Amino acid sequence: MATPNVHQGEAPRSLPRPQAKQKDAGLSLLFQRLIPYAFLLPGLLLFGVFVVLPMLYSFRISLYDWDILRPERSEYVGLGHYLDILNNGVFQRAALNTLLYAVVTVPAQMGLGLGIAILLNQRLPGQAFFRTLYYLPVITSWVIVSLLFEYLFNGQAGLVNYLLQQARLVDQPVRWLADETLAMIPIHLLGIWKGVGWTAIVMLAGLQAIPEALYEAAAVDGANAWRRFRFFTLPLLRPTLVFLLVVLTIGALNVYISGLLMTDGGNPLDRTHFVLTLMYEETFDNFEFGRGAAISYLLTAVVFVISLVQIRVLQRDIEY
Amino acid sequence: MKRLSLTLALLIVTCLMLAPAAAQDTTTVRYWHTMSDPETAKLDEQIAAFEAAHPDIDIEATRYAYNDFKEALLTAIAGGEPPDVARLDIVWVPEFAELGVLAAMDETLPNFNELAEGLFPGPLQTNYWAGRYWGLPLNTNTQVLLYNQAQFEEAGLEVPATVQDFVSAACALTEGDQQYGYALGGTYFWAPAPLFYAQGGQITDPEVTTAEGYLNSEASVQAFQTLVDLYGEDCVSPNLLGGGIGTAEGHATGLYSMIVDGPWMVDIYKNDFPDFEVSFAPIPAGPEGTTSSVVGGENVVLFADSPNQEAALEWINYLLSEDYQLAMSEVGVIPTLSRLVGNEALPEYFGVFMDQLQTAQARTPTPHWSEIDNIINNAFQFMLRGEKTVEEALNDAVTEVDTLLAE
Repeated sequence: MATPNVHQGEAPRSLPRPQAKQKDAGLSLLFQRLIPYAFLLPGLLLFGVFVVLPMLYSFRISLYDWDILRPERSEYVGLGHYLDILNNGVFQRAALNTLLYAVVTVPAQMGLGLGIAILLNQRLPGQAFFRTLYYLPVITSWVIVSLLFEYLFNGQAGLVNYLLQQARLVDQPVRWLADETLAMIPIHLLGIWKGVGWTAIVMLAGLQAIPEALYEAAAVDGANAWRRFRFFTLPLLRPTLVFLLVVLTIGALNVYISGLLMTDGGNPLDRTHFVLTLMYEETFDNFEFGRGAAISYLLTAVVFVISLVQIRVLQRDIEY
Repeated sequence: MKRLSLTLALLIVTCLMLAPAAAQDTTTVRYWHTMSDPETAKLDEQIAAFEAAHPDIDIEATRYAYNDFKEALLTAIAGGEPPDVARLDIVWVPEFAELGVLAAMDETLPNFNELAEGLFPGPLQTNYWAGRYWGLPLNTNTQVLLYNQAQFEEAGLEVPATVQDFVSAACALTEGDQQYGYALGGTYFWAPAPLFYAQGGQITDPEVTTAEGYLNSEASVQAFQTLVDLYGEDCVSPNLLGGGIGTAEGHATGLYSMIVDGPWMVDIYKNDFPDFEVSFAPIPAGPEGTTSSVVGGENVVLFADSPNQEAALEWINYLLSEDYQLAMSEVGVIPTLSRLVGNEALPEYFGVFMDQLQTAQARTPTPHWSEIDNIINNAFQFMLRGEKTVEEALNDAVTEVDTLLAE
């Protein structure tokens, strides 16, 4: 559809009438400006229909005691759900658990990921093999590895307890999943183990974008390995690190499947909930659609603010 | 050759013309369920039999995982595309009835009274909410005592008939962390329910208006106290607090001497632990000398907006027929037709379950059941962890339950 318009706009240019030419040139410019939007349109439409509209709709749900069948009968409660949830002990605990998960797993994934990326960046035999190996956890299903970790950390017959007892580190088997604090250990470890491969691969791409010549020049100037890392690798990797920090934090705040499976969503005593497992429980177990939507919106707001701060504070242009 | 192709062309055109007409004559009934593998295989046979007898009805069965089923149903309901008929866990019926998506069975089904008379009253009652019947009991079950005969013989013990004997047997059969006399699957209400009801425990009044004086009654407190004491003496496996060895694996491998579970265990043991021989007994009787247990099972419901109501009702009638119910019993599904009691075609081990069903009680019929279940679960956890006494935990639970019931 756009192509004929271009021709219509361009063809008259060869005509000798200056007035018409000027007018047509204006038209042509207009079309040229519009064409990119025509290409964007399908994507924007999909985004609008499947992302923006449901988001707005669920915001509306969060303001009501929502009746799923007859929405018109829903009772308007304003910000009632939001206030109620913010004052709810179970939600506060879930929010703390979620933040703790992010604070523990994001730096751990980035630290380990950077180490692995640097190792994988060396010219070593079996490089491709190790790259694949570290990436394997990333492509395995969350459900399967959650169940696997549940077995490993079984309180009566788990491999982890067996090893700890063999090493004489504990006398009695540790009841990992029966304790609200200890239950976080397998969940955090799983998050780190599963994410570190992806982090390493992204960092590896960042490392390989750094020109080799810089290192050679630095080496000639007598910079040792630490100084080369500190003054070249780290600053030049900054955009990659900021990107990873933002993406991993968003991912960590959305922790869900491992929590739902390993603690049955909140066991014991609703103390191991994450924001999303609580959202699921309110929505699909208790049919409280308004509360569920409000929880989602609170999480969205937090994710938005944290991401914005991270990008503003850390993003800087680098020149070399 | 030319004539042949002409005939062929005519044939194709005729077929094409007939096909839509034929399609219009069959009604498709969408049936959603959460059956196990062997049950689904049996269901497929039964659908084939039903369709052969009703060429104008096509049953489109869809199977869901139990844990995803509510979500799937809600999504379908919100999208205006619910199934015609579904098999729901009995405790979900009031919730969905409250949502207003179910057709009242006693209004819609012309032969409701006739069918209802032939059904066990306990399971039928689980369909009753706000003055109407919202479904029909499709299959029922209850929990009984499953014990390891060899371990009892070795210890020279009799199978306990009273809760008192049960407590002493559980401790006598415990050997450190190598063997536990008794194990529960978790702290969710279904697990302690049989022993709770057998000791006279109650959750609410019969009209489901308050838990005060029921969930915190002397009998209810005593029922939980029995379990908490057993746990305190290490005669109950610690798996009930989470993250341990499951009751089935533990029981079949000799780690747990006694568990309380349902008829499906027979099939599970047959497949996973063929060498293990399981024995059944009624739930031990409480201080009043009466046994009890908890009613489980599934009800069949009809969705109010179903455009294929007539065909759907045919299918529901078939699900409550002797043919269907007897066929399903072959894979461990207990029928709800009372006239099948003593039927020779039923597996022998059904006997103890059918007897237990005479005294088994239904969980509180309320749309808030999921929340109440969670409240009792947490109360049980508080007691076991020693964070609250049994009385404190149950009093707090009563306050929470009553807030819900007042809504």
